[in-house]
Amino acid sequence: MSLMDKNNQPLRRFIDRIKPTFAKGGRLPWLQSTFEGFETFAYTPNEVTHNGAHMRDAVDMKRSMITVVIALMPALLFGMWNVGHQYALATGDSLSWIAEWWFGFIRMLPLIAVSYVVGLAIEFSFAQIRGHAVYEGYLVTGLIIPMIVPISTPLWQLALAVAFAVVVGKEVFGGTGMNFLNPALVARAFLFFSYPTHMSGDTVWVSAKHFGDAVTGATPLGEIMASNAHSGQELLQGLSCSALDMFVGVIPGSVGETSVIAILLGAALLLLAGLASWRIMLGVVLGGGLMGLLFNAIGANAYMQLPFYYHYLMGGFMFGAVFMATDPVTAAQTNRGKWIYGLLIGAFAVMLRVLNPAYPEGMMLAILLMNCFAPLIDHCVVAGNIKRRRNRGRAR
Amino acid sequence: MQDITKIRKGLDIPLEGCARKIVSDARSIGLYAVKPTDYVGLAPRPVVAEGDTVLAGSPLFVDKNNACAKFVSPVSGTVKAVVRGEKRALLAVVVASDGRTECADSAPDDLALLSREQVRQRMVDSGCWTLLRRRPFGIVPLESDNPKAIFVSCFDSAPLAPDYDFVMMGREEDFGTGVEVLAKLTDGPVHLGMRPGQALSQLDYGPQVEIHFFEGPHPAGNVGTQIAAVDPIDKGDVVWTISPQEVAIVGHLFRSGQYRPEKLVALTGPCAASPRYYRIFSGAELDRLCGEQMASRKGCRLISGNVLSGTTLPLDSPTLAPFLGAHDDLVTLIPEGDYYEFMGWLMPGLSKFSFHRTFLSGWLRHLPGVERFLPKMRYDFDTNLHGEPRPLVMTGEFEQVFPFDIYPLQLLKAAIIGDVDLMENLGIYEVEPEDFALCEYIDPSKTDIQCIVRTALENIRKEGI
Repeated sequence: MSLMDKNNQPLRRFIDRIKPTFAKGGRLPWLQSTFEGFETFAYTPNEVTHNGAHMRDAVDMKRSMITVVIALMPALLFGMWNVGHQYALATGDSLSWIAEWWFGFIRMLPLIAVSYVVGLAIEFSFAQIRGHAVYEGYLVTGLIIPMIVPISTPLWQLALAVAFAVVVGKEVFGGTGMNFLNPALVARAFLFFSYPTHMSGDTVWVSAKHFGDAVTGATPLGEIMASNAHSGQELLQGLSCSALDMFVGVIPGSVGETSVIAILLGAALLLLAGLASWRIMLGVVLGGGLMGLLFNAIGANAYMQLPFYYHYLMGGFMFGAVFMATDPVTAAQTNRGKWIYGLLIGAFAVMLRVLNPAYPEGMMLAILLMNCFAPLIDHCVVAGNIKRRRNRGRAR
Repeated sequence: MQDITKIRKGLDIPLEGCARKIVSDARSIGLYAVKPTDYVGLAPRPVVAEGDTVLAGSPLFVDKNNACAKFVSPVSGTVKAVVRGEKRALLAVVVASDGRTECADSAPDDLALLSREQVRQRMVDSGCWTLLRRRPFGIVPLESDNPKAIFVSCFDSAPLAPDYDFVMMGREEDFGTGVEVLAKLTDGPVHLGMRPGQALSQLDYGPQVEIHFFEGPHPAGNVGTQIAAVDPIDKGDVVWTISPQEVAIVGHLFRSGQYRPEKLVALTGPCAASPRYYRIFSGAELDRLCGEQMASRKGCRLISGNVLSGTTLPLDSPTLAPFLGAHDDLVTLIPEGDYYEFMGWLMPGLSKFSFHRTFLSGWLRHLPGVERFLPKMRYDFDTNLHGEPRPLVMTGEFEQVFPFDIYPLQLLKAAIIGDVDLMENLGIYEVEPEDFALCEYIDPSKTDIQCIVRTALENIRKEGI
């Protein structure tokens, strides 16, 4: 198709015709960022290079973000089916797997919708006020937030959490690329600290027939916290699910985090596409494993005796390792720093789980903690480079 | 024993339109210009007026801040115009050639008898001093400079770069003499960077000359990469660089007494009808060649230099014709990319070239052995930005195309905020914007990295004066 044809399609002509309405001097200038957001969604812009390299790589932030969203799909789709499946198991209703998936889909849809509508409305407003285009950071965060909260989270709580995360967690610092805390985890932490009864326990994870209702169904982490077992063996026998169940993900839990295998599929896509750091992922897994082994060696109580690899299978460990710890903006930015960052996240996550009596899941807190330390880690790594350069100069 | 360094970080961009090894003569071009905008940090003052007669090697303008910097005419003839732009900034001094290329009479020099001072003076008077570039800052060397080494990169790895084995054929003696001249100018070594097996490596050089071989993708041919691999620049160090054809021009000056800035320039690119080499004088006007090579001038961009760090030349400007850049021996013609693409960011993108693997083409490129089964991948290359500028988000990517012991993202961020101390600590003195060209190419956030680095370097240089 020649250049003239590419610029001449009906949709393109329509957009060009209504464009002046949203520009300065038009009738709706306050919607300019919104209009541009939708325009660049439909058409990659016709901007050419003006300074520096005359050609640029075909990839842009939209492409990167959409690839991450695709990587989230296995976990999301499985999680939707799992919501229905857990409901069927808990209530004794027997459903086909399509019906189970549809059940979960219907219950996830409001959460996803609220997350995107509230988050994007705030982002569009900030873009308009600041006079720049809408940045794509929220495409991924907006999908992750519903995947890490319990399915029975009230929508108004979710909306508040999203607003808090986008405004205080991101925009206050300057928007996409400027924040130091992972916005999805800020939303989760907001919910956890403000509405703790809705976020933990065993009556939030499994959906009931009516929207927002839940029936009893504890996650493995919850069961471990509540258990009185005296040894690791007893603990394992007391769990209502097997290791295989946990690996495949047919257990109660947040929509995104239960299925390790679906998360690994997403991880494979992210690694193949070069979008997530393998150093961070491997670091988290190794750090968690080493801390788990350490606890196995100490063996002071039943939880410590639990074989270390169970930590990978339970709770949000793998989801955090693959999708949250690897957020490039809030993680360490140097390669060496990424190792240290990942190892410490894994170690802290397991440590918080085993030693902290207040909350079964340590991953969220571990990542938030290391988000605060990532700049320090980078500073120390870069300081090594600076010192090497200085010594090289002095050696002459 | 050969000293071969394998450069592992970088990227070769498979642009089409490489120059075929045929040479057309373009020495009959009538207009030439020397442009202060081809150099860094000049305060130019013209020393000729319209209508003056000049010889090849006569000064056209000088730098007010640098007594050694005399910018001379490449050909003999009459000064046609002294072109000024906004705020009376000097844009170019244009000379109409009289076709005879006369230069001031001068006897050839016997290098063995000359002292360093005499060699320097000869370089300055002839105008060859301005062929040299100085790191840090990329400016014309100062009178007070005492370089610790001089680097010549004898090959170019940029997309569509000329083949220096072909270009330097027949100029070996001039090149050898030029290297001898360089050796006189410094106490330290003259480092020549070459590909293994390059023809120039077979010549005999003096004891001060060291040959280093480099393998690997672009930017192996960038002189900055070679400096970093051989002898990185520290604070306070000064290093001079010069390109191989310019070395031959210097050598020709000392061998024959004549200043003759004749070069082989490759005209390349997807928009070029018949890419080839042209024998041409420095600073030539490119209108006629463009007319020959471009079917339609609309929708094409004319670049003096390579696509990564070259300068756009105006094709139909009323003020200034397109003149070849002073240091350039490559001209690239690529299509403009000002088109919209429906949901372009979602498409599989087989014809889109990307360093990253989010496009199908990127995956196929990285799979081993695929080339045998698939037809040669052809990509659409044009000037489309493929997105819009965004804040810096991705990390760990610049490091893959930046073969220095420097943290590129951290240095870039220090340059953006203007933290001079941090920039110094992170190695700003080692780099020139062209070293960041590949980072700018692959950046998904479309940051104007080379611009930022040049601004930072200029600010540091001006603060230091």
